[in-house]
Amino acid sequence: MQEIKAIIADDEKQLRSHLKSMLSKVWPDLIICGEARNGREALELIEKHRPDIAFLDIRMPGLSGMEVAGKVAGSCWVVFVTAYDQYAIEAFENEAIDYLLKPVTRERLEKTARRLKEQIDSYTKPPVDFSEIVNKLIVNLQDMETPGYLQWLKVQKRDGIRLIPVDEVYYFKASDKYTMVITKEGESLIRKPIKDLADELDPDKFWRVHRGTIVNAGCISEVSRSLTGRSVIRLKDLPETLTVSRSYVHLFKQM
Amino acid sequence: MLPVNRKGETAKEDFLVEMHMESKISDAKTHRPVVLFFLTMVFNTVIAVFLTFFGFREDFVVNLIFSQCIGLSICVLVTIAHWFFGNLSPLMRMFLFTAALILGSVAGTLLGMTITGVDTSLFFEKNVSFVHVVSLGIVFGSIISYFFFSRHRISMTERRAEEERIRRITSEKKAVETELRLLQAQIEPHFLFNTLSNILSLLDTDLKKGQTMLIDLIHYLRTSLKKTREDITTIGKEMEMIRAYLNIFRVRMEDRLNYRIDMPDSIKELPFPPMLVQPLVENAIKHGLEPKIEGGEVWIHGVEDGEVLRLEIADTGVGMYKRGASGLGLSNIRERLKSLYGDKGRLILEENRPSGLKAIIEVPHARD
Repeated sequence: MQEIKAIIADDEKQLRSHLKSMLSKVWPDLIICGEARNGREALELIEKHRPDIAFLDIRMPGLSGMEVAGKVAGSCWVVFVTAYDQYAIEAFENEAIDYLLKPVTRERLEKTARRLKEQIDSYTKPPVDFSEIVNKLIVNLQDMETPGYLQWLKVQKRDGIRLIPVDEVYYFKASDKYTMVITKEGESLIRKPIKDLADELDPDKFWRVHRGTIVNAGCISEVSRSLTGRSVIRLKDLPETLTVSRSYVHLFKQM
Repeated sequence: MLPVNRKGETAKEDFLVEMHMESKISDAKTHRPVVLFFLTMVFNTVIAVFLTFFGFREDFVVNLIFSQCIGLSICVLVTIAHWFFGNLSPLMRMFLFTAALILGSVAGTLLGMTITGVDTSLFFEKNVSFVHVVSLGIVFGSIISYFFFSRHRISMTERRAEEERIRRITSEKKAVETELRLLQAQIEPHFLFNTLSNILSLLDTDLKKGQTMLIDLIHYLRTSLKKTREDITTIGKEMEMIRAYLNIFRVRMEDRLNYRIDMPDSIKELPFPPMLVQPLVENAIKHGLEPKIEGGEVWIHGVEDGEVLRLEIADTGVGMYKRGASGLGLSNIRERLKSLYGDKGRLILEENRPSGLKAIIEVPHARD
């Protein structure tokens, strides 16, 4: 029987050496040909040594374990090692990918070793199509981690660049090519037209009530009719009122 | 962790509650002038009947015309005066109200004279009967206005009580949510399982190091779990917990993490809310340094600046653009600062130079 080679990738040294020593007990014939501290190193090691198996931590700097797996699909068997990723684990069930939970126990590692040996014996090559599965997982994970909408505004202040979370903005007001950002602390200008901003903000939280105004729905205290029949928005904590233009009145209609 | 849009939903729910209330109130607002004028006309008719019965000017039709003219004029002018009440002092309000009453009576009388075909110039001559008409207008006007004002005051009081009730329910709900989020934040499963894995492996290789790490974990868990039920701790105690937390990461990340905590001795005994700094340190590691291949440094330091106490948490990590959902923890901190210190408690985020993020907590300096 030919030699079976593996690499281990984890950003925490202690966990790499732990897995290595466990493997040496459970699977003494396995050759660990390299250890990687991050996703990029893992990728380099896999390309250089062409191992049969890669043990990949999911959360790593540089590239995540998932991203590495997606790139090397078909060239080696992948076992994910993770501390806690409930959603990811559910996705691994019934797939051709194995996973280990940290802390890795001897019994679980033995099971993984048996499975890997069987697979390596019965197939000549790892399945190529799991790059699809992995890519699907990556997309799922990204959906869960990043909400996709703009979260921060970068504002130039006298003493440096201030970061304002969008949740704190009461409203945005168009000002030529710029947009005025009004928070409780005051006004600041950002270099982005309100039209572009409208596309990047969460429409559930930020309502466009006028061609030149976007208001944070959470900051509205009341909406009333003015003498001329226009809807006027009153804000919490701020004295000014905002006018709702006729084409956006429907936002407040059904309530 | 809660889904990211939770906050948004809550905001929208609260908003819907408020909108619902608002629509009820504005219904009342739009009906009010109609009801007001109708009631005024009823009162005017009653007055006309009353006056005719007691033989004032004998003719009911003339009495009715005069009382309607005077009553409605007063009604219009007092309503207009009421619009301008705003922030006026009670004395100014009284003055404005009296002026509206007198002006309304005179204007109503003149209007009545015009309608009934009496020469209005007679009013300005010393015609005693028209002076009577004006004074009657003022007397009845006062009584009826008093009736409307107290009715208005009662409805305003009810409205305010209702608003207060909704506000209380909303803030209670928020407090419970905050508590829950705090609890979840401390026992982040990723942190817990990774740390336990490290300890487990250290038991084989470096028993002493493993023990130290376990002690740090126990210290961190005990203080952080206890703290949600405490309202206040001291800066010194909070920093001890942060040190234990950072020590754990120092073992896990090795030379990828360096940290410094600089707190002047003078502020260590100052009271400070628990679990305000910890989420910022957690963010610095989780979103700043862990994703960065070469790692970096966390620097926590306290500054006394006159009336302000400032705690800065700076990291040399990847900066803010790659940090997605960390806004949840931050809005939580902001809410707590606001409820504890009002406008004097602030959380500011800045770009750290040359790289990373700097979070600054400002609270009033609690000097003895």
